[in-house]
Amino acid sequence: MGGYIMTEQVPLLRVKNLTKIFGGVTAVSNMDFDLPEGNLLGVIGPNGSGKTTLVNLITGFVKPTAGRIEFRGKEITGWPPYKVVGEGISRTFQMVRPFYQLPAFKNLIVPLYSPRVKKLAGGKYGNRDAVALDLLEEVGFERDAYVSYKKAGALPQGYLKRLELAKSMALRPDLIILDELFSGLSLAEVASIVPIIEKLKTKGKTIIMIEHRLKELFRIADRVMVLNYGRKIAEGRAAEVMESPDVKEAYLGSEGE
Amino acid sequence: MLLGTLIYGFVNSAILALLAMGFNLTFGISGVANFAYGAVYIFSGFSVWIFLNTFGIPYLSAVLIAIVLSGLMGLAIYYGVILRIKGMPLSEVMATFGLGLAIMELFRYFDFVGFRYTLPIFFDGSFSVGEVYIDYQRMMIGLIAVALTVCLYLFTNHTRTGLAFRAIAQDERTALTFGIDADLVGALSMALGCALAAIAAVVILPLGTIAVEGGYEVLINALAVCIVGGLGSTVGILVASVLIGFSQTFTANYLEPHWMMLVSLIAIAIVLVVKPSGLFSHQKELEERI
Repeated sequence: MGGYIMTEQVPLLRVKNLTKIFGGVTAVSNMDFDLPEGNLLGVIGPNGSGKTTLVNLITGFVKPTAGRIEFRGKEITGWPPYKVVGEGISRTFQMVRPFYQLPAFKNLIVPLYSPRVKKLAGGKYGNRDAVALDLLEEVGFERDAYVSYKKAGALPQGYLKRLELAKSMALRPDLIILDELFSGLSLAEVASIVPIIEKLKTKGKTIIMIEHRLKELFRIADRVMVLNYGRKIAEGRAAEVMESPDVKEAYLGSEGE
Repeated sequence: MLLGTLIYGFVNSAILALLAMGFNLTFGISGVANFAYGAVYIFSGFSVWIFLNTFGIPYLSAVLIAIVLSGLMGLAIYYGVILRIKGMPLSEVMATFGLGLAIMELFRYFDFVGFRYTLPIFFDGSFSVGEVYIDYQRMMIGLIAVALTVCLYLFTNHTRTGLAFRAIAQDERTALTFGIDADLVGALSMALGCALAAIAAVVILPLGTIAVEGGYEVLINALAVCIVGGLGSTVGILVASVLIGFSQTFTANYLEPHWMMLVSLIAIAIVLVVKPSGLFSHQKELEERI
């Protein structure tokens, strides 16, 4: 036994045979995919196709019925959320829930206190307020404007979504999962967030984006995966994927051509 | 008469605040209403008594052991019971209430009834303010209530664990995404709540006898203060303690002493009719806006 030499690089995230059954409903069915480091994977599909369940499975909010999840070659299947975060996977939620009573920048203090951040910073937390304000500037809060100091409860939706992004970045993750970050935002707001995500990519972050805004997603995604009824029905480059008959049927109904 | 009523009103308020603090802390953080709270209170009272009289352990050590034991009991309740039914408030109430009943009635079963179950006073003696005599034990209750409030404030506002406590209290889901272990924090909040019940017990019980019925009374008083102040709100607890504490003392001194118990029940009724979330609760505001 043994003696195999790994020629293939271990992908950052590997999902194998992942299945989740809620009661009688199969939300995610036998899903397989690999995500190499530094890639941006777009996940699309009609409502109820299992996209958010997939995110919940990877981040530990939901325990899989069957299957396996590996991060950097280490099995993390069924780990609780706080441990998954410690490994370097962070996420955003479609419905944002900041700490409404805290000022926007103070919302970032909690993740900046995490053991992971301390470890990565060499055992010291540093000046968290300053780091928080820098992070907010990175996601488009105007520097020196009052907005960073406003209570999160008083911010408009556009800023709340940016804050959500900043929160996930504050944990200094290797993999960021963005669950419908663009939903509820205007075209202009989406256009202003796209460059922030592109910048994260150039910094080497691996990203999974669940999106309904296909146009913007296809501009920045390296690969796209299409789900329908909990199954992966296509995966590849955006243009190729949209040519697949299954995808056309799922998205447009059978009238396609 | 008035000066005396004011001073004893303050002491009574401090007692109520001490009683409610632990219950409120656990609820505020993990959302678990620990109805075994009164049982933990008398459990620690009887523990100290047993350590003192059966094992002959010095008073201060007996007190410390009882506080630690109560904290451990909180952990055991959390991991043994709450964790299995977490997120189902009615089950949490029933399970903890049942457990509390079992603990308290077990003491009755083993004949822990009677006037011999008393704890010695920490500092004997008294002093007078004007014409009012006040003993050191009551003075100490007031001081400990203030000191604990300050400690809890510092803990929740200036330590990492305290921050995690507050994060969980505000939004468990968000806290989870920040890498906070919600179950561990919940268990700690339960342990801390029970330890606070024990601290309240060891400073308050020397004023009277340790009785099983006391456990039920403690639970009602803690509930009254928390409901009036708004569950989970520290400021609310302090204000409600003062309101109910002074009302009780005034009722006892100017009306009839045995009407005292009615005050907290009436207060609960009024608040539930007028402002069900309590005077200082943020619960409603925090609900999802989007």
